[in-house]
Amino acid sequence: MNDAARILVVDDEPQLTRVLRTGLKSRGYEVRAAADGLSALDTFNDWQPDLVVTDLAMPNLDGLELCRRLRAISQVPIIILSAKGEEKIKVEALDLGADDFVTKPFGIDELLARVRAALRRSVSQTTDDASPVRLAEGDFQVDLETRKVIVRDREAHLTPKEFDLLAYFIKHAGKVLTHHTLLAAVWGGDYVEQDQYLRVFVGNLRKKLETDPAAPRYILTEPWVGYRFNPNG
Amino acid sequence: MNVKWPGYLGALLGTALTTAILAPFQQQINSTTVALAFLLIVLFVALFWGSRPALLASLLGVFSLNFFFLPPLYTLSIAHLQNWVALIIFFTTALAVGQLSGRAKRRAEEAEEQKREIERLYQELQTAFKKASEAEALRQSEKLKSALLDAVTHDLRTPLTSIKASITTLLDEVRGRSQEDAVVALDAESRREMMEVIDEESDRLNRFIGGLIELARIEAGELHLRRSWGTLDEIISTALTRAASLTPGREVAVTLEPELPAVRVDERAVSEVVYTLVDNATKYSPPGSRILIGAERAAGGMIRMSVEDRGAGIPANLRERVFDKFFRATRDGDVSTHKPSGTGMGLAIARGIVEAHNGKIWIETGAGGVGTRVVFTLPIGDEEVLDEPQEKFVEAGSLR
Repeated sequence: MNDAARILVVDDEPQLTRVLRTGLKSRGYEVRAAADGLSALDTFNDWQPDLVVTDLAMPNLDGLELCRRLRAISQVPIIILSAKGEEKIKVEALDLGADDFVTKPFGIDELLARVRAALRRSVSQTTDDASPVRLAEGDFQVDLETRKVIVRDREAHLTPKEFDLLAYFIKHAGKVLTHHTLLAAVWGGDYVEQDQYLRVFVGNLRKKLETDPAAPRYILTEPWVGYRFNPNG
Repeated sequence: MNVKWPGYLGALLGTALTTAILAPFQQQINSTTVALAFLLIVLFVALFWGSRPALLASLLGVFSLNFFFLPPLYTLSIAHLQNWVALIIFFTTALAVGQLSGRAKRRAEEAEEQKREIERLYQELQTAFKKASEAEALRQSEKLKSALLDAVTHDLRTPLTSIKASITTLLDEVRGRSQEDAVVALDAESRREMMEVIDEESDRLNRFIGGLIELARIEAGELHLRRSWGTLDEIISTALTRAASLTPGREVAVTLEPELPAVRVDERAVSEVVYTLVDNATKYSPPGSRILIGAERAAGGMIRMSVEDRGAGIPANLRERVFDKFFRATRDGDVSTHKPSGTGMGLAIARGIVEAHNGKIWIETGAGGVGTRVVFTLPIGDEEVLDEPQEKFVEAGSLR
């Protein structure tokens, strides 16, 4: 890191922002904290952070609304701090464009791993913006023009929809993708309630790509939320 | 109908009996009296058995009147024209009486039947209502339970989250695990801060659990008061000493009515109430603003105490609810100016303590329409001898 990445931490719990500020700073990040959504937006505009870590339940402007407003003005990666029991609102936040989530209580390593992944994604997205023809992530090489897929140096034969789904996964490697997001991206808006489509296609993809489809390493299930693609297995 | 035969039998017997009684006097009594007697039978029959048996009674009456009482006797012929007229009038009247009273009886029966039907429907309706409201109450209580569970888990998890994040930050450094990030070693200041958070948040968890236990005791009716004679002065100053760290730079003005009597209360518990109210007043009013504490005599052998702040106040519609456990006006009532740092249990516990003393607690608007005034009453308490044995019993293992 040449320039220390800037992280904005948003939580109404002062003790937690205190800990996260110190914990993240010790890893070389620059950190600012906000206690609610409104002041988070102010800080965001003034400071232009590289990443936002936000709680969901907050006074003034909650995490959900913060995601909505941030997405209206920026593609900054957003990591949600959620608690068990907030699954519904968590999925809603992911649908609104949040990138990832960490469930409370969490170890600092878990948060740091998500922070690193989110920052890496956002860097690679900004550098290769001119939509490439070839994607290479981990064990995967995908040619978007010839629609050829090589996994672990062997060609995999996919149907057109399977290919579209895999291409979407690879483009968003490491990110949590909700059922809703995947259905809308691959099948279009009319299919967003058809979870079973997705399950079938993910099942097929796993059969063709995974070494052991029963214990998937690439396409990971995020219970109640969706899937996360890990190109390195 | 089978059921009717007692009616016809009644008509027959009634007429026969009347005939038998009156026949020996046929010379002495005139035919009008006899006709009226038969009419009476018709009326009774109609009232008891309805209009058809009454018709039979009318016919039998005509026959009997004619045969036994109208000359020439013991024939069905009639000598005088006026007797013909009398007989016809009797028959017509008897018919009318029979029909009318029969109808009245039928109406009465129908009304009775309707009444029973309505009562039955009413019962059914009531049962249905009762079942519905039971189901509703159950649903409400389930909803309440899950809301309480949410509140409790949130309050337990929040400090745990800070503790876990601090501990793992410290552990990482100790283990020297770096993964991809350059581990910038924690400086002494950061390390101390992490440990402070752990310390403070453990205390917070402990306070929360203590509150839960106290609430559970109050709800189970196991709050046994250790009453003794004491002065409000002492109780308030105990509370204020404890609250001193909460109120730096605050003017806390105590106004006691002169010559207040001693009170027989659980001093520790009442001082806890005062402490909670001062704590709340501090949290929900601007730094540096005044807090007023007052105590005075009230009607009915009571003492009235109050704690007042100059904060934003509590909207009238939330003034009852703030005494509910885990309810926080700032979080649940959208008064989102200050962040609540309470557990949502303080006022619930305060109410439990006040009510255990047979007092009351409520919220008013502060003087001049500004801020919040929490008022509670306590009996001065000289007739509470009944509690005595129980108090001795719990002496050893009471509140704390």
